[in-house]
Amino acid sequence: MAHTLTTCTFCGVGCGIYLESQGNRITGVYPSMSHPTNRGRICVRGWNVHEVASSPDRLKNPLLRKNGHFEEVTWEEAYAFIARRMHEIKVRYGPDALGFYNSPRCSNEESYLLQKLARAVIGTNNLEHGTGVYCNNSVDTLCEMLGVPASTNPISDLLDSGVIVVDGVDLGMQLPTIGGWIIRAKLQGAKVIVIDARRQRLAETADFHLQLRPGYRVALYGAMAKVIVDRGLMNLPFIKAHCENYEDFLRDIQAFDLVSVAENCGVPAEDIERAAIAYATAPSAAILYSTGVAARGKGSIRALVNLALLTGNLGKPGSGIYALTEHNNLQGVCDVGLLPDRLPGYGRVEDAKCRKRMESLWGVPLPTKPGLGAQEALDNKQKKLKSIWLLRYDPVNTAVFCNAAETLAEMELVVVQHLFMTSTAEFAHVVLPTVAFGEEEVTFTSTDRRIQLARKVIEPPGGPRPAWQQLTQMANALGVSWKYADSASIMAEITQVVPFYSGATYDNLGREYGRPWPCTTEHPLGTPRLFEDMPPQQRFKFGTVPKPFASFGPTPDYPVAVVFGSSLYYWHQNVLVKHSETLKRELRVLLLDYPEGFVEVNDEDARTLGIRDGARIRLVAPHGASTTTARVTPEVRSGTIYVPFFVKEVMRQITGEGAFEAVSRTKPLFVRLEKI
Amino acid sequence: MRARLVLQEDVLKIVDLLRRDHEVVAPFYGRGRDTFFDTVTDENLDRVQIHIPNPYYPPKRYVLPHIEQLFRIRKADGSYEIQSTYDQTKRAIFGIRSCDLAGIYHLDRFYLGREFRDPYYARRRANLFLVNVVCTDTQVDINDECYCLCTDTGPAAKAHFDLQLMDLGKGEFLAVAGSPAGEALFSAPFFRKATEEHVERRRRILSEVRHRFKTTTGWFSATVRYISQEKVLEKTWEAIGSRCLECGGCTYVCPACTCFTVTDRPTGPNEFERVRLWDACALYGFTRMAGGHNPRKAVHDRRNRRFFRKLAHYFIQRELSMACVGCGRCAEVCHGDVGMPSTIEMIRRATTEYLAHESAAH
Repeated sequence: MAHTLTTCTFCGVGCGIYLESQGNRITGVYPSMSHPTNRGRICVRGWNVHEVASSPDRLKNPLLRKNGHFEEVTWEEAYAFIARRMHEIKVRYGPDALGFYNSPRCSNEESYLLQKLARAVIGTNNLEHGTGVYCNNSVDTLCEMLGVPASTNPISDLLDSGVIVVDGVDLGMQLPTIGGWIIRAKLQGAKVIVIDARRQRLAETADFHLQLRPGYRVALYGAMAKVIVDRGLMNLPFIKAHCENYEDFLRDIQAFDLVSVAENCGVPAEDIERAAIAYATAPSAAILYSTGVAARGKGSIRALVNLALLTGNLGKPGSGIYALTEHNNLQGVCDVGLLPDRLPGYGRVEDAKCRKRMESLWGVPLPTKPGLGAQEALDNKQKKLKSIWLLRYDPVNTAVFCNAAETLAEMELVVVQHLFMTSTAEFAHVVLPTVAFGEEEVTFTSTDRRIQLARKVIEPPGGPRPAWQQLTQMANALGVSWKYADSASIMAEITQVVPFYSGATYDNLGREYGRPWPCTTEHPLGTPRLFEDMPPQQRFKFGTVPKPFASFGPTPDYPVAVVFGSSLYYWHQNVLVKHSETLKRELRVLLLDYPEGFVEVNDEDARTLGIRDGARIRLVAPHGASTTTARVTPEVRSGTIYVPFFVKEVMRQITGEGAFEAVSRTKPLFVRLEKI
Repeated sequence: MRARLVLQEDVLKIVDLLRRDHEVVAPFYGRGRDTFFDTVTDENLDRVQIHIPNPYYPPKRYVLPHIEQLFRIRKADGSYEIQSTYDQTKRAIFGIRSCDLAGIYHLDRFYLGREFRDPYYARRRANLFLVNVVCTDTQVDINDECYCLCTDTGPAAKAHFDLQLMDLGKGEFLAVAGSPAGEALFSAPFFRKATEEHVERRRRILSEVRHRFKTTTGWFSATVRYISQEKVLEKTWEAIGSRCLECGGCTYVCPACTCFTVTDRPTGPNEFERVRLWDACALYGFTRMAGGHNPRKAVHDRRNRRFFRKLAHYFIQRELSMACVGCGRCAEVCHGDVGMPSTIEMIRRATTEYLAHESAAH
């Protein structure tokens, strides 16, 4: 028997867990009591990760499509085929006809090599992780306003917060360990403000549930900022010392009248006022929002960062902005450059200086223009892409923003690296089987910037290879001599390339519980809290506040606002979850109970309409109508309905738009509900 | 009397003795404060700890594994071959705590003591040798969440062990045999004669150790009464449920929780395995029926079910033991601080207040 401390593979919290293994099987899992982030607690997914890891239902050998069906081939034959086809496509159409996309659950090592393959070997910036459409606004906004595209404080700081704002993310479902910290902080006296159209679990015990109508986030934050300014509660010394654009911000904020904002967004004015005062007068206050799988316009992110700057809530324990990553390595894949317009370390592709530095490190010239993101690639409207490489990514199932199946069917070359035969893999020309969690030593970076080792606990079954090894061998097959003997040597290169990872060797990471970046050679223990020693020249920028738009309200014909959700039921579709009996039952049960999909209707609204749970209803919009099943729940705000991302047909029928447009709308759509 | 004295330097010889014909697991340190039971080998023998925080991952998994294969099914020539997978390894747990022993006893009653005897559990249990170590080190063995005094399950178990070891200080351990198998070990030369003075020291240490616990009186009885008499208000359960994040942890770590589920998985073309896994009544799908009906949909209805199973008089009577052993793990694993101690307190406070108010009103 062996007990190995490792990092959970599901969400961005990065809980410390022990995997128990016997012989060559993973036989158990339990939380680490000493880990600074979870301190002995994990969620139902973590408690069942051992079952996923031991699933016998996986791919063993490379598959090559011959005569319309898959045949098992050797690795050499697979690589040779891919190399030949890639070469042909590159010669015929140019390097920008090839694209490389992965999932935010990929490790740092394989992600780094994927973007290096794209940039340094093929010569394109057509690369991205699959949730870029959702989180890139956050990356850009935080870079612009704070200079760092990541959460500023460690998760454990929440216990020291006087006020915690949870904006639009159901922590109980997506990041339960963080939800737990907040519940416990509340038991110790913290005030919790939940800003969400949904009455989610944390709202049950919140001090304020600002259950706003969809589309009014910017207005709500604007009104809160104005309350703070009107009462003189801003932190002027902090603003004077460190913030730019304050005058513009002050001027723009005047447009947000508390009473009219309250009326428009459906939240009592006194609640907005009291919440704002609570936030501004707390000794330290934190704001949490989600960046993954929940599209958010730049305006609403700027608005909440503005609040933190207005009140000086940075750098001290219990304060900060948490740009939550819902996947275990969303932070890491961005850090190591899986972005079409940014290099590893976030330098812009178009910035000649950044590019030159990378060119000298890698020894090759690099493409100069930003490439196609995942959404553009998988939409492929202009048919620019001929070849797609997908690493651990299953867009046919999980990508809401495109009809991936259609696009992949038209490609000349589709290469899929995965653990299981996913729906996406059915469209591949070549499928390369990867090893599973626990079968390789790699790193993930958590939502609070903790770079952690995920250990090798058992030997993989004969056949599959680590994805990073496949990429190395692929580069070799393409004629480039990459030599990475192990994953540690890839991280060693990352420490040279990404400045804030410069101290993150496996040796250092393995000593305690990983290291929070910046983890540099000067500060090898890492930096749990950003901006702690605030030097006088530290600068932040207030973000431009868009004008509050006039109420685009409901009309008598179309009185119900539609909330298009993407993150809440994400795990229901995830391929790992299918391989655990418990998780399948817990997370996918909704798909069983509502086999034709569902939209969520508030229970009072259902009563008024005269329908019960499971009833067929019609949604009628100006553009079109859709028939679906109602799931009745008090969690949804009265006057709204919630459309989960996987009912793509419903979205298309009532908006006439692709699902992505629907999901990333800033103005809500209005419909009428009809009983059938 | 079936007690002997063992010198401190000889204690690990018991491990060696057992290793002759058992796979022995003992507690070890992981990183920081983490500890776990692991197989003793020549390589790690010198790292076996006697005084150590109780391993979090409960030793119930040696009789009820987190995941275990029950049987294999092979399809051949149009018919099915079924082959059971029994674990008959002789195993010894060195250093199991009194609370965890009480948990195993509770599991014995559930899996062996009723109409249907679980053959997998029975085999593991029959081959298990239990060496209980009494918690005496107030810094290390006992932590703030422990409450075995309230459940009357510790710190020194009265029964259900094969051998019990207790540190008497001054380099001496008292060894008590709890079964013929335990007594059989006494033939080894390092088991010396124990005297009345040793027994007296044991009594005195135990009465001192009691002071380490945060509370020594169980508020269980009040709560058992309220729950059994159905006096707990719906809104108390709702308050408890609002803090639960449905992780299942309390059930997984509880030494006295028995629930499991079963699933079939393909292991190859024409081959399946059936596995049994820990399950938790904390989870939504636990009571979901085919067809979709779920009598315990709301989270507070599931919390209610858990504490009813743990504390209602009906169950205590049925199992002849309470399904809580005072180990404190549920308090440590819970995100929302609604483990047993906190829940007991919430129920007791809310219900006492409500009843006092009711009687004042009349």
